[in-house]
Amino acid sequence: MDELLNDVVPQEDLERFEKKYHHELELDGEVTSETKFEYAFCLVRSRYTNDIRKGLMFLEDLARTHPDGRRDYIYYLAFGNARIKNYTEGLKYCKAFLEIESNDQVRSLEEYIKKQSDKEVAKGMAVAGGAALVLGGILGLGIAMSRNKQKRDK
Amino acid sequence: MNVKMSKVRGIANKLHERIDCLIEKCPNMTAAPYNYNYIFKYIIIGDMGVGKSCLLHQFTEKKFMANCPHTIGVEFGTRIIEVDDKKIKLQIWDTAGQERFRAVTRSYYRGAAGALMVYDITRRSTYNHLSSWLTDTRNLTNPSTVIFLIGNKSDLESTREVTYEEAKEFADENGLMFLEASAMTGQNVEEAFLETARKIYQNIQEGRLDLNASESGVQHRPSQPSRTSLSSEAANAKDQCSC
Repeated sequence: MDELLNDVVPQEDLERFEKKYHHELELDGEVTSETKFEYAFCLVRSRYTNDIRKGLMFLEDLARTHPDGRRDYIYYLAFGNARIKNYTEGLKYCKAFLEIESNDQVRSLEEYIKKQSDKEVAKGMAVAGGAALVLGGILGLGIAMSRNKQKRDK
Repeated sequence: MNVKMSKVRGIANKLHERIDCLIEKCPNMTAAPYNYNYIFKYIIIGDMGVGKSCLLHQFTEKKFMANCPHTIGVEFGTRIIEVDDKKIKLQIWDTAGQERFRAVTRSYYRGAAGALMVYDITRRSTYNHLSSWLTDTRNLTNPSTVIFLIGNKSDLESTREVTYEEAKEFADENGLMFLEASAMTGQNVEEAFLETARKIYQNIQEGRLDLNASESGVQHRPSQPSRTSLSSEAANAKDQCSC
């Protein structure tokens, strides 16, 4: 799963489908759902968060307006959100998908997102715990020093 | 009162030790020595519903996936195999067969060392489309990419629409390796994946495949002594650790 999520779209592909998208937009004033999806599919696999966000916007739009491809859009909405560590959103889309269709591909993405989000929580707790320890250490040292001083003063 | 303080400090020290221990464990995990010598990249391509994902699942899990839904975009699977006493990690990209993914999944062809091209022996149309899949493969991969043709669903003899001989001829004409296989029974599935790897390995040995080329689809992982000693040190540190 790591390989799937960490795989980055080749720049030339992203540019090709971007060009196709803008070409259609200029020519017809609108873009077919195929072209929009192809561009979004590249965007959510970009290395840049802004690209991924843009891709997610396209996919949300497609999921609303083009019911035929909804399962593909929902999967990649979960996928893109997972890539930018939006785990809650990602899980929401996995759940929505699995309510309609039992699917191992989506289930393994869901498990992966759960694991990653647990890891983030643990990391957060470790940082907080570490900070508490440091604080405790400083406090302890302060108390000890003041006690020492008291003793010496006596 | 002083006794209490030293107790608190003692506990704090112990906690610090624990944290140091945990921190030491982390690099130990990431610097684990590779348990394989090569990585080969594969792609699986072919029409919708020919059984690409089922072949992959049979190969990686040794199980048949009944009622397998259409793959969305691309799936990934991996397995470590052995060729000539060398451990090889296969990284397998399983592409969706649906037409709407055709254009965007082309980016996965790049840098593939092996391409498994699948058709369904019970559906003539999937066989007729092979030349278009082959054109894509030839255009988007290296001359050294090993292309293996798989006629899937060989268990469904009664509804066969493509004979073995005909497909064999097509394979020979185009210089492809070929087998009929069944993702359901598992027949010839191992063979197809392994023979592809053997052929790639042979190409490396005979110098037909340049390991340093960026898109060869093969990565070599020579055993690195510095890395091994580092991880063994970390392992020792872990042993001494009381946590």
